[in-house]
Amino acid sequence: MNIIELNGVKKDYPLGNTTVHAVRGVDLCVKEGDFFSIVGPSGSGKTTLLNIIGCIDNATEGSIKIHGEEITNMADKQLTDIRLYKIGFIFQTFNLIPVLDVQENVEFPLLLMKKFSKGEIAKKTEKFINEVGLREYVKHRPAELSGGQRQRVAIARALVTNPDIVLADEPTANLDSETGATILELMQELNRIEKTTFIFSTHDPDVLKYAKDVVKIKDGQIISRENLNH
Amino acid sequence: MSLIFKISARNILRHKGKSLIIGIIIFLGSLLMTLGSAVVTGMEKGLHDNIVERFTGDYVIMSTNQKSEAVVAGGGIDPTESLPEYTNIDKVLKTQTYIDSYIPVCRGVTMVLNDKGDMGYTALLGVDIDRYEKMFHNNIVAVEGKLLSDGMKGCLVTKGGQSTMYNQMDVWLTPEGAPFIESNLIPDAKSNRASLNIQSNVVFMGMNSSGDQMDIRTPVIGIIKYKKLDNFWGGGGGGNGGGYSILDLESFRECFAYNNAENTVTNLTGEKKKIFGSDDNLDSLFGGGSVVKEVETGNTVYKIGSLKRTEVKTVSNANLDAGVYNLIFVKIKPGSSSDAGLVRLNTVLSNSGLGVKAVTWKKAAGTIGDLASIMKIVLYVFVGILFFVAVIIITNTLSMAALERTTEIGMMRAVGADKNFVSGMFLAETVILSGIFGGFGIISGGIIAWIFTGIKISGGTNNALEVLFGGDVLNPILNGYDIIGCIILLLLVTIIAYLYPNIVARNITPLEAIARD
Repeated sequence: MNIIELNGVKKDYPLGNTTVHAVRGVDLCVKEGDFFSIVGPSGSGKTTLLNIIGCIDNATEGSIKIHGEEITNMADKQLTDIRLYKIGFIFQTFNLIPVLDVQENVEFPLLLMKKFSKGEIAKKTEKFINEVGLREYVKHRPAELSGGQRQRVAIARALVTNPDIVLADEPTANLDSETGATILELMQELNRIEKTTFIFSTHDPDVLKYAKDVVKIKDGQIISRENLNH
Repeated sequence: MSLIFKISARNILRHKGKSLIIGIIIFLGSLLMTLGSAVVTGMEKGLHDNIVERFTGDYVIMSTNQKSEAVVAGGGIDPTESLPEYTNIDKVLKTQTYIDSYIPVCRGVTMVLNDKGDMGYTALLGVDIDRYEKMFHNNIVAVEGKLLSDGMKGCLVTKGGQSTMYNQMDVWLTPEGAPFIESNLIPDAKSNRASLNIQSNVVFMGMNSSGDQMDIRTPVIGIIKYKKLDNFWGGGGGGNGGGYSILDLESFRECFAYNNAENTVTNLTGEKKKIFGSDDNLDSLFGGGSVVKEVETGNTVYKIGSLKRTEVKTVSNANLDAGVYNLIFVKIKPGSSSDAGLVRLNTVLSNSGLGVKAVTWKKAAGTIGDLASIMKIVLYVFVGILFFVAVIIITNTLSMAALERTTEIGMMRAVGADKNFVSGMFLAETVILSGIFGGFGIISGGIIAWIFTGIKISGGTNNALEVLFGGDVLNPILNGYDIIGCIILLLLVTIIAYLYPNIVARNITPLEAIARD
């Protein structure tokens, strides 16, 4: 079943006196539980595409459906709810809340949901902190962690709400290759265990070996799609 | 909510420098606001207690013809209009249940003359001294001589008046029959001790609102001080020469050519006015013996030598209230509403057609009555400026903080925080800063006010300070209203300072978190 469906999605934005066509009519379907990679050089439009899928940016044109629900005309509050309940984000630069420790960063989206008890929050948080291997660092703040550890926290935070989709924008770009590989293996493992759909962008060909599905994008257009079936 | 406060509190600690700058401004503003309010409230209470309870009462009743209502302090040398038929007014006042007590008085400004032709001037109150002292808590004390006793004629010159008359006329007044007190001399008089012109009587020349004038020589019975606000009422600080000296009622009426009780309630005849208006009357007052001059009034020839100085004597069996008065000082019962009482009183006075009106003590006291309000406005303007600057600085600092935290806020939005969460976070930061530093400022202001009350800073002989303090010593009073006022102002500052940074923060989109990566 398709969890994401994009039809004729375009994204233009003004740059001085010209218009940049960042995404030029993308059609794309992503299946539930996929480990999906968008590959392309810098400026190819992969981050823009991820932002549109993640309800962070609006498409200029086209249709975007998540779980069959059209999101293009949704209000800010509805989009916020989709981001909170259905999507998890992993950013290139980790983007943790500097004043919160590991545990607090991970439980942050759960607290925003306001539907879990303290005990449930603690249980879920503990589970994902353990899964990313940061049990000993729960009281550490981001500034006290390495890049790889911070990205693990971001992964735990993205997964703790049990989202349908996790979007990761170049999650290994700021990590050394060894740490990057570990992170991707972790994401792969969680995809297998939690059955969560992962969509990540990269321009690193080495990362491709982890993906099940790969879409190559160039100049805002999909130029190929490949099922690697590792 | 606890998450918002947790993040906000930690952000405040994370940005200690900025937080401290904002906090110090809020602290100072709150402290000054609290302390200033306490001083102004103390001044207001002091002025109220010392004027209402000890000089004018709550209301002053005057003639409707009276041009300036500031008859007590700001009346200047303009004659005070006389009241029509006090006995009729008295009947009306007796029916007003909210009135506690009242006293009719004569009030005017007279010339003071000496035998060399030098002149000065002083404000005079003509009162039944026993009644006055009873109503105003024995506010007048004799520093030389004694107070007037029942029915006695003579004057009580203020200490300030004694000095002023020496400076104006080179005469040192000392009470009749009282021992001369060397130590009471002012430095200038001490240096001229050998040639000091000491006198125990004084010539007043009054003029009433009809333009009739009269002069009397009256003995000085005592040199007095007012227990409260003496610099103002007794020291010449109110623009009335040497403050308010006291004259017995009958002499006052004689001096101002009013009907007095001894002349009964009949109008002063044209004949008597002519006699009193004779130029030779004045000269006769300075003569040692009897000056006899015939004055033709049309019907009779009078010999005015009989008008020579008024001797110290008592007035017996005279109905003092039958004579002319200028003002009535009215006190209302404790707990009565001043505003409502004034409306009721003026309604009943107006309906009675007596030609009199009542004004508040503040209006009657003129500038001094308005001083508390003026000081309050000055305080609020000053604190307003301080808080305006605070608002600008806080707004700017928080706006910068919002922009600096764009990635962080954008990321929060990206992972599901809505705009209200972001608003709440900034509001919490502002509230925490205002609450801690503002609260500390209010408490500190209260403590300083309490310390000031304890150490009793004296205004000395400084008129302005005495008025500013509302009494002899600085006595700040911090009441609940002041504290609530400070808290409301602090909340207002907090909300205003928060508005713009909140807009900035709310407008940060999740996209900006990624765009800034």
